[in-house]
Amino acid sequence: QLLKSRQDINPSQACRVRSQDPNQRRVLDSATRQRRLTRQLEALEKDNFQDDPHASLPQLVKRLPQFDESNESGKRRKKTRGDHFKQRFRKNFQTLLEEEDLSVSEGPNYLTAFAEPSKFPQRHFCAVCGFPSNYTCVSCGARYCCVRCLGTHHETRCLKWTV
Amino acid sequence: LYIVDFADTSIVITEPYFTFSSIQESMNEILFEEYQFQSVLRINAGSLSAHRYFHENNAELCCIVVDSGFSSTHIVPHCRGRKMKEGICRINVGGKLLTNHLKEIISYRQLHVMDETYVINQVKEDVCYVSQDFYKDMETAQLKGEDNTVMREYVLPDFSSIKKGFCKPREEMNFTGKYKTGEQILRLTNERFAVPEMLFHPSDIGIQEMGIPEALVNSINNMPEEMQPHFYKNIVLTGGNALFPGYRDRVYKEVRALAPVEYQVSVALPQNPVCYPWEGGKLLAENPDFEEMVVTREDYEENGHYVCEEKFDI
Repeated sequence: QLLKSRQDINPSQACRVRSQDPNQRRVLDSATRQRRLTRQLEALEKDNFQDDPHASLPQLVKRLPQFDESNESGKRRKKTRGDHFKQRFRKNFQTLLEEEDLSVSEGPNYLTAFAEPSKFPQRHFCAVCGFPSNYTCVSCGARYCCVRCLGTHHETRCLKWTV
Repeated sequence: LYIVDFADTSIVITEPYFTFSSIQESMNEILFEEYQFQSVLRINAGSLSAHRYFHENNAELCCIVVDSGFSSTHIVPHCRGRKMKEGICRINVGGKLLTNHLKEIISYRQLHVMDETYVINQVKEDVCYVSQDFYKDMETAQLKGEDNTVMREYVLPDFSSIKKGFCKPREEMNFTGKYKTGEQILRLTNERFAVPEMLFHPSDIGIQEMGIPEALVNSINNMPEEMQPHFYKNIVLTGGNALFPGYRDRVYKEVRALAPVEYQVSVALPQNPVCYPWEGGKLLAENPDFEEMVVTREDYEENGHYVCEEKFDI
C-alpha cells in the first residue's frame, strides 16, 4: 500500500518545518528504494576518465607521481581522449558481456567467478555521519543514528533526487 | 634512455582473469601486428605472483593468491604452478570503489570534492587504515577532544604554497576553535577505517557480495579435501590495497576465525605487494621453460589466434 499523496505546500508554514502528518508525507516503496540503491552503486563504479582539474596550473617543482605529467600532454590528452574513447569503445562493457554469451559455454568463466552474497547480516551506518545507525527514515529508507542526523537528512537529502 | 627495438624483444604482459575472447584477440593484434614483438606471453598477474612465491618456498605445493587491485579483487588458488579455475572468486570492490566512496562521503559531510579523484586518492593512501576491532574504533571515533585518537586532520593542497596534501601530526592538531591559517582542512574520523572496511564487508554499502576473508574460505572449501590445509598455510596478499596498514593482521584474524581448528593458517604479505607479480615475471623470463610458454610472431602469423588460445592459460 502506497501513501503517495500530493504534497500540500502551505504558504504560512516555513519550508523547513516538515509536516509529520501521515497524509502529507511521501513514502517510497521498496522497488523505488532498490532502484535508488542500484543507481548509487553504479555511480561508485564509474571510471573518472576526466582531466585533472589542476593540470593547467603552473608546473610543480617536484614531480608528483599522482598528477598529470606536463602541460603539453595534458592538452594533447584533452584532444584525443574524448574522441578516442567515443570512437573505439562504442561498445561498453555490458555489450561485450552479452556478446560473449557465457551462459552457453561450460566450465568456469566470468559469470561463475562472482562472489556470492555474504552469510553475515548486513550492517547499517548513518547516511549523515557514518557511525552505526539504529533507525530508518520513513520516507526514503535511509539510516540515521540520532535526531540531529535525521534533521540534517530531511533538510539536505531526503527525496531530493527521486527516480 | 631505454631504446627498445620491438622486433627483437619478447614481452610479458598481464591480463585480468576471464577476459573476453574479443579483447584477447584485440590484444594479440596490437602486440603482433602494430608493435611487432618477437614473442609474447600473456598471463594473469596472479600466476606470476604464485611463481614468485613457489620460487621462495620450494617445499609448498599449493598457494592461494589474493590480488586486490584497482577495479576488483580476485582470489585464485594455484596448485603445482597451475591456477585452478573452479576456485576463482571475484569481488567487485577495488581501489576505484574505495576512492569513489570516500569522495562521496567527504562531499556530503565536509567539502565538495567529486572532481578531485587524484587528491582524494592521496588522502586515502595517507590516512586510511584497516582496523582490528571495528566497533571499538567506532566508539573511540565518537569521543570528543583529546580522547579521540582516531581523528586526523588532513591539509588539502592549494597548488600555490602547498603542493601536495599531507596529514597533520597529532601535536599540531586544533581540537577546539577554528583554524587560524588559511589552509583547507579535512577532519576524518570514522572514514579512516570505514572505507577499507568495505574490502572485508561489501555489504556495508549494499553490495551483496562476500568480503575477502569469507570469499577466501569459500574458495578453499570448493577445492578437494586433501589440498585444503595446504591452501590455508599459503595465503599471499598482493595488489595495491594490501598497502593499507593492518591489512595482513586483519585478514589473518578473520580467516583464523572462519577456518577449521585443525588447519594451520598463515598469511604472507610481501615487502612490495604492488611489484610482486613483476618480480615473478622477471624470474619467469629467466626460467629455461620460458621459451616454450611464449608465442612467437612466426607462430602467430601462421596460425593466428588459435595458437594463442591454446598456449596462454587465461
